[in-house]
Amino acid sequence: MPLKITVTDYGVGNLYSICRSLERCGAEVEVISDMSKLRDAECIVFPGVGAFDRTMRKLLPYRDEIVSKLESGTPALGICIGMQILFEGSEEGSNPGIGYYPGRVRMMQAKVLPHMGWNEVVTEDPLFDGVDDRMFYFVHSYCGCPDDPGVCIGKTEYDGREFASFFRKGNVYGTQFHPEKSSATGKKVLQNFISFAEGQI
Amino acid sequence: MLAKRIIPCLDMKNGRVVKGINFKGLRDVGDPPQLAMEYERQGADEITFLDISASLEARQTMLDIVSETAKNLTIPLAVGGGIKNAQDMRDALNSGADKVSVNSAAVKSPEIITECAKDFGKQCVIVAIDGKRVDDHWEVFTHGGTRPTGIDAVKWAQKVQDLGAGEILLTSMDADGVKTGYDIPLTAAVADAVDIPVIASGGCGCKEHIADVFLQTRASAALAASIFHYNECTVSEVKEFLKDRGIVVR
Repeated sequence: MPLKITVTDYGVGNLYSICRSLERCGAEVEVISDMSKLRDAECIVFPGVGAFDRTMRKLLPYRDEIVSKLESGTPALGICIGMQILFEGSEEGSNPGIGYYPGRVRMMQAKVLPHMGWNEVVTEDPLFDGVDDRMFYFVHSYCGCPDDPGVCIGKTEYDGREFASFFRKGNVYGTQFHPEKSSATGKKVLQNFISFAEGQI
Repeated sequence: MLAKRIIPCLDMKNGRVVKGINFKGLRDVGDPPQLAMEYERQGADEITFLDISASLEARQTMLDIVSETAKNLTIPLAVGGGIKNAQDMRDALNSGADKVSVNSAAVKSPEIITECAKDFGKQCVIVAIDGKRVDDHWEVFTHGGTRPTGIDAVKWAQKVQDLGAGEILLTSMDADGVKTGYDIPLTAAVADAVDIPVIASGGCGCKEHIADVFLQTRASAALAASIFHYNECTVSEVKEFLKDRGIVVR
């Protein structure tokens, strides 16, 4: 039986790439716009499309439930804004985030924003096992700043500064980069995530 | 460190790539989805589709091609040409494009930039600027470079940034098609004046030109068509060449 991944549709962007990428890695994908269905999910992907407030709008009523679900060990992956909403809040918006990752999302300090293009992720996490090339596609102007430094498991340098680009707390991974837009390198990370998730359920 | 991006551009008319393309091993040499995949395999960082058809029927053909391409492409895909309003942009994004570029429509109604940035996020909104040297400055031209606007290209670049553009695709009308290199003064002037990424376009005839634009300006990316289409060199050859010159590429 393939792993069933529930992908959240916030109603603001195109989920085609992420769904196709997960399917190509062998997962069965279910897209939900009714967030109450997260209760039954065996594995969740929060995709990376949209702005903070609009992305949170549909999730807001289920914040506490989602935190409990993630704390209970459900494997999950948040990508870009889908990772940022797992924090407590963001300078980009006024809505609160899910609040699973401790800390906030802040605007990056750099001359040119968005930080757009391919950049290196430095990490020792096993999710990168077998990933030789560490270059991934990024497009963002904000980044997650965890209060607990242990949540940051990978970093990237931009414009002379390092920022946290890869996160993990419990079974919940977060990437500032877009694995679904990062060619063969991204595909390997998604495959590793699926293997990890299968091992957790 | 953030890598400089190499972006092959496919000019399309009525669903076919216009410029002659000659990849080995590809039977249907003008088929955009296959070409896009070939460029991804070579190491392209992004793909741009530019629709140069004028008809409404061609628009739907273009959207079908975008969705066909997006099925298998796993690098970002930008689409431009003939985008007139937020609905056109929505259609392109819903077909699987990651970014959409607006040109003439942005000059005619600049508020479209803000509207699209608000709806889709500024990272999706590329403003394409066609600049041409007139006296002592560069002027913005629209409608495929046929209509002068009287607008200064550098000031326009700053304005579209303020309006919410996430990126600028800057094409030099003087350099385009001449293959004698990117317009370094124009690219430098615009890239110095804004704080969003600038893609240099127009004039690329060989890999040295790409190195020049990265070494002499702050451009974040270089777009090229014919050097890749005519098999003059592959994307990976360009990248090896840039690496040898100390330019960070993927």
